[in-house]
Amino acid sequence: MTDAHIPATDITTTDLRRTPFRRLLCVEARKLVDTRCGSIVASILLVLVLASIVSRGVVFGPDLHTLVGTAGIGYGTLLPVLGILSVTGEWVHRTALTTYALEPHRWRVPAARCLLSLIVAVAASLFALLVAVPVTGVVANVRNVPATWEITPFMLAGWTGTNVLLVVAGLALGMLLLNAPAAIVIWLSAPVLWSVVKRLGAGGAVAAEWLDLNSTTSPLAAGDMTGGDAARLAVSTIFWIVVPLTVGALRVIRKDVN
Amino acid sequence: MIEFSHVSKVYGNVKALDDVSFTVEAGSITGFVGPNGAGKSTALRILVGLAHPTRGSATVLGRPYTELGCPGLQVGTLLDAGAQHPGRTGREVLTLGAMMLGLSKSRVDEILDLVGLTGGESRRTVGGYSLGMRQRLGVGHALLGRPRVLILDEPANGLDPQGIQWMRRLLRDLADLGCAVLLSTHLLHEVEQVADHIVMIGRGRVLARGTVDELSRGRSLEQTFLELTANADRSAA
Repeated sequence: MTDAHIPATDITTTDLRRTPFRRLLCVEARKLVDTRCGSIVASILLVLVLASIVSRGVVFGPDLHTLVGTAGIGYGTLLPVLGILSVTGEWVHRTALTTYALEPHRWRVPAARCLLSLIVAVAASLFALLVAVPVTGVVANVRNVPATWEITPFMLAGWTGTNVLLVVAGLALGMLLLNAPAAIVIWLSAPVLWSVVKRLGAGGAVAAEWLDLNSTTSPLAAGDMTGGDAARLAVSTIFWIVVPLTVGALRVIRKDVN
Repeated sequence: MIEFSHVSKVYGNVKALDDVSFTVEAGSITGFVGPNGAGKSTALRILVGLAHPTRGSATVLGRPYTELGCPGLQVGTLLDAGAQHPGRTGREVLTLGAMMLGLSKSRVDEILDLVGLTGGESRRTVGGYSLGMRQRLGVGHALLGRPRVLILDEPANGLDPQGIQWMRRLLRDLADLGCAVLLSTHLLHEVEQVADHIVMIGRGRVLARGTVDELSRGRSLEQTFLELTANADRSAA
């Protein structure tokens, strides 16, 4: 037995300092991509963003706004899936036993995940911008046509905000269902389902208008919100984010972990 | 260092734990033994705040576990060696634990060395590990923060004879350093060799507790155990 195992803490004192929140955030960030599945989804996403921006640039021409927006397609679908996998995997593989044994103040874990989703979505949006700028320049140069650099900070912020909302909505769905296949299927088929609902008479059309997060966020992403748009966005956000996140978090905080 | 005080847990109309009380002192190993379904895992989960008792309370280091700040630095837990993400490598599991506890990366190598996982094994995903390797990984994870209390649920399951001997020596050394060790098991021969104290549980109730010598009564621990559990079953029926 080497001295590697001598208890670190003094026998007479009990340390009551909590784990710093920043540490939880770093651990949760690492857990997003440190499994085989997570790293595959993350690399697919990375390749998809690069490929879609470049090919859109080649086909559509050097328009920065369009090229940045192209990345949103991948972000709206795969980034939430990454979130779903990380939160549901915890219960499927029962690593929740370890997670909540190391952090008995359980609410801090979902809180760290929400904040992390926000950070990831903002970083991903910046990354898309970072890729789209040189692609726009290069395409304009190669084709010898003038590039359109027009993109207002307001548009950029709205688009980034949309990515944040979609990623957090994915996380909320995962936390509500705690079942990866179900959450992923619902998430990916939601656009199709809403287009069906829309055709189910007047009631269906109203429901889709107020609850389909993809359509309520599109004015935000385009940067031309009206008062009505804001109300619809608020309602769909409550439906997709606030309610499932609250219910999911309360359940995780209260349930017996087995 | 560990205290169960009148802990009961009721699921619907099933009493999983019924008025369980016992303590584990520093520098000793307590074997928590009972047949499958006796309530051992439930008791350990209540102890670390993962399940809530219907009545009574359990404390570690004089407090409810959930009040310990960064519990991994004071209490090492292995609750289920199988509860690992199969797509994560062994090294990664320990790295996440070390990050959470604010420990250096070199601690991961120390632990791998201590539990006898090679560099090559540590870089494989846990999905390909044998149960014995998972137990070693789990015990290593519990020891990351140099805790003075160890709570291990069935740590000897799946270990080969060398592994069992290794575990026995490790736990004894830790107890000699002043740690309190609580391990649950249904391997009676095993616990007889390593534990100082035994708490026997059956159908959620503490059937007997005492030193190994007291409980084996000059026979084997197994005989006492079978007698007591048979009695408990008869009175329950």
